[in-house]
Amino acid sequence: MKEQLQKDFNNIIKDFSLSQKDIEIKKFFLDNFINRGFPNKKEEDWKFSDLNQIIRKNIGELSFYSDYKSTNKVDTSIFVDGLEHNKIVFINGRIEKIDFDYEKKDQIEIIDQSETINEFNNNSLSDLNNAFTNKSFKILVKEGYQLAKPLIVYHTTNTKIWSKNINLRLDFELNKNSSLRIVDLFNDTSEKNFLNIFYNFELKENAILKNYKIDKFENKNIKYSFNNIDQEKNSISETFILSSGSNFVKNEINCNLKGKYSSAFVNGILSLNNDKHHEIRSIINHLTENTKSYQLIKSVLENSSKAAYQGKIFVNSKAQKTDGYQLSKAILLNKDSEFNAKPELEIYADDVKCSHGSASGSLNEDSIFYLMSRGLSYQQSRELLINGFLLDVVEKITDSEIKNLIKNLIGIKE
Amino acid sequence: MLKINNLNATIDNKSILKGFSLNINPGEVHAIMGPNGSGKSTLSNILSGKKGYETSGEILFEGKDLFELETEERAHKGIFLAFQYPLEIPGVNTNIFLKTSLNAIRKARGEKELDAIEFLKLVKEKSKDLKFDEDKLNRQLNVGFSGGEKKKNEILQMSLLAPKLSILDETDSGLDIDALKIVADGVNTLRDKKNSFLIITHYQRLLDYIKPDFVHVLMNGKIVKSGGPDLAIELENKGYENFN
Repeated sequence: MKEQLQKDFNNIIKDFSLSQKDIEIKKFFLDNFINRGFPNKKEEDWKFSDLNQIIRKNIGELSFYSDYKSTNKVDTSIFVDGLEHNKIVFINGRIEKIDFDYEKKDQIEIIDQSETINEFNNNSLSDLNNAFTNKSFKILVKEGYQLAKPLIVYHTTNTKIWSKNINLRLDFELNKNSSLRIVDLFNDTSEKNFLNIFYNFELKENAILKNYKIDKFENKNIKYSFNNIDQEKNSISETFILSSGSNFVKNEINCNLKGKYSSAFVNGILSLNNDKHHEIRSIINHLTENTKSYQLIKSVLENSSKAAYQGKIFVNSKAQKTDGYQLSKAILLNKDSEFNAKPELEIYADDVKCSHGSASGSLNEDSIFYLMSRGLSYQQSRELLINGFLLDVVEKITDSEIKNLIKNLIGIKE
Repeated sequence: MLKINNLNATIDNKSILKGFSLNINPGEVHAIMGPNGSGKSTLSNILSGKKGYETSGEILFEGKDLFELETEERAHKGIFLAFQYPLEIPGVNTNIFLKTSLNAIRKARGEKELDAIEFLKLVKEKSKDLKFDEDKLNRQLNVGFSGGEKKKNEILQMSLLAPKLSILDETDSGLDIDALKIVADGVNTLRDKKNSFLIITHYQRLLDYIKPDFVHVLMNGKIVKSGGPDLAIELENKGYENFN
């Protein structure tokens, strides 16, 4: 892998006019990644999902060079119907379209930040991302501006994909009293690629962020998605994850509640079949007093699928009056499906309210019998029970338009 | 309509029904009374196709071998079980469940499925007859319902589905006298020359409101005595012990 990394990195240096400083920074991250390699199960955060092995088994040798010069044609048929929205379109890792047609142009800034690199976390995937993302943007929403329409970020891959690994990165700055709704919609027709996605959010005072990540369509790709959310006073972040379509996905949410009365909501559904393996990892850092977090994760696992939820609530010594809650529930439809939960509470303040719970089991046979005795088939009964099980997570979505979109995608009828 | 011949049932190596036989003709109302553990609920479970029992013997419904039919097929053919403990189904809207159920059965009967408006009209009418709180129809199925409301919901389902054979498994338990009358009215409305009922109960009380044609005493897995409505009164006075 090392030779390939070096080779692809040199190609990028050759093809793009990067500043010497930029090259040096990128080289630093490349070396870091070469040293560390992909995360494996020896690392605590990856004990349920050995990415190194997963990549080796599903993809084999990776290539890292992305051809950012040739443009891809945007297939408009993938756009969501019946919901007016702004768009960012990624095709094979290249940003093809940024369109805020529904918004006041002077209220949003799109900043080309390919020359600045932030460090995200201590994870080797951020090294990889920093080394190979050579063009990324920051979307800045100005003070007091609330976007009229949601932003849908289309993550599209197709068979013309150039490299086995794609790294992409978006930054968002939501200034005071602003709000933004983002839907990440994954649509893959490529096979056996590894997508490494980093988002960074800065929420200023009173800002509201709603991020809905939807990986619903069947595909054979491997994905890692990392959200870092820094929150100032009174800000609210709502993250919803529908994790279903890809062979492997790990969604990581790292939330820093830095300002008083800020709150974070992380809700998710892991609906898996066949041999899929998905994980949600959340770390909520309560760093000051009177902050709140709420997490509800539900999993429905069929065949030999595997899901994991690692949820951490960290409360530092200053964060009195913290209110932290997390609950995970799983239904295992087959004996060979597997669910792992690792709730963690790390609390250094004494006046806090924190709780966690986790339960897993099979579908209630008595309930199925009850429904079948009313003329419903086994399949109908099962679907009704599963939809019923998932409904309260979906109901946590505070945006009604997007809630309906997601209900339609899952097939929940009303 | 229903012929049960020498039915034996065991669960977890425990023998529950031991040579149970019963014959129900169209239009008849049969009551089965028996003490706890006599096999009453096992009988209703087996009739509606609950899995987990080892059985021998014969059950014919309108001449067809019941053991060959899945639970939902039995419902399609017109067998209905009002549950002793109706289940709470979180996240499933009562109206959606009722409509799905009714249309599954209508479809199986070769009748036109009802659209949302036709269904709502029907369900509102039936709810009114049973004094079933209409707001409950928009709630999650049985979740947070009182015991009486759950039982009324069973009778509402029965009256919507209009089954040929209704089995009421201790529907009277936990009901106050007003609810009991409403449940009985629901049964009596459906009662005609074609529809039959099998009423399983501990007490004679329900039979004051639903006059049975036959009363059977179930003890230790089989019927030990059959008679008319007077048998229920005799039981109430003497208790089960004298039938051992």
